[in-house]
Amino acid sequence: MKIVNPAKAGSLESNDIFIMVFPNEKGIEIELESIVIKQFGKKIRKVIEDTLKELEVENVKVIAKDRGALDYTIKARVETAIRRAM
Amino acid sequence: MEYRFLMDFERQMADEFLKSIGLELENDVDETLCCFENGQMIGTCSYSKNVIKCFGIKEEYRGEGIASSLITKIQNRMFDKGIYEYFVFTLDKNVQIFKSLGFKEVAQADSVVLLEGGIADINKYLNNMLKQSGVDQTKNRAALVVNCNPFTLGHLYLIERAAMENEEVIVFVVEEDRSAFPTDIRYSLVKKGCSHLKNVVVIKGGRYIISSNTFPSYFLRKKDEKLNVYTKLDATIFGKYIAKVFNINKRYVGTEPYCDVTNEYNKAMLSVLPSYNIEVCLVERLTKDGRPVSASIVRKLLKEGKIDEVKNLVPITTFEFLNTDEGKRIIENIKRRDLPH
Repeated sequence: MKIVNPAKAGSLESNDIFIMVFPNEKGIEIELESIVIKQFGKKIRKVIEDTLKELEVENVKVIAKDRGALDYTIKARVETAIRRAM
Repeated sequence: MEYRFLMDFERQMADEFLKSIGLELENDVDETLCCFENGQMIGTCSYSKNVIKCFGIKEEYRGEGIASSLITKIQNRMFDKGIYEYFVFTLDKNVQIFKSLGFKEVAQADSVVLLEGGIADINKYLNNMLKQSGVDQTKNRAALVVNCNPFTLGHLYLIERAAMENEEVIVFVVEEDRSAFPTDIRYSLVKKGCSHLKNVVVIKGGRYIISSNTFPSYFLRKKDEKLNVYTKLDATIFGKYIAKVFNINKRYVGTEPYCDVTNEYNKAMLSVLPSYNIEVCLVERLTKDGRPVSASIVRKLLKEGKIDEVKNLVPITTFEFLNTDEGKRIIENIKRRDLPH
């Protein structure tokens, strides 16, 4: 899938994650902010990367602001943002 | 509870609502979002370009998550319009609301705080500015922040003083589009006018050098407080971030005994910058025929059609520009407008 426009999904409410995606030339870049970055930063990043791989996205800049979202929420928000960006 | 954006003719309603809680709706607002309960307005939030402002909720409805809804919805609207960086100026008592919505505090002066959200990141932005300027970060330098509407001999005098007294100088040209001379022109005239000074770099100031137009004052009780607070906030951001990134240890400012705004600025610089180890150098402005050479005098003369008198007050590079088609168009504009800037 190719990212054409900036798009977003999610919100900044507790337990959610706010995802913004932008077209990119330099592969996959993820900027993550999280209230539990020290405990789960790596895991959150992996969920985002795996979701992007499943959607066959190779070039995208992802800005993620996490407020304690669980895996399925992260996956859903990333997928929604990507689909909106096509 | 119903949320909707107001039509232009409904703005008055929002202004009245804000006035009832001690605030007001500013004139440059692009869109206003309101929350209604039983047909009555109980909360509102607006934005102007990338600044969220004019935000207030009726006392008895606070603490119910309406603020979060208003701010989230307005950011969504701004995103749909292609705005991905969000700025808020607010009183310190409201900082928590914005922080809980992912905003980060940039700086505080008195009780006013600037926060940023979305993809805004002051450190990244300034580091990018630094890279683009090509400046050597390992050296110290003196700085000037100028508007130059247009670039005059008065400005040049100040910059030449700094260039003589320091190994390196950087000049930031304030970016704002309310001046008679547009930002690109002002910048280019400063650059051309300083091209003979080998140790001077001229760059556009970027968005963290706040012009008074960007700074909203709707939450300040006394209107004359605005200038005092905004200049202090501007000075704080300069000292805390810009000076660090660009390795600035001195800031040059020109005195002008008759201008309140300049005096307020200088006062703010003097009270804030030394705590960031930046020396403030006050330089007496260049005078000709007993008057300080200022851009406002130049604009006044242009408005009166006295372009020959302008020749003595500006460098040849500026004068040459005034005689080009574009320069003439700007002069015509000045003649027709009735604005102080």
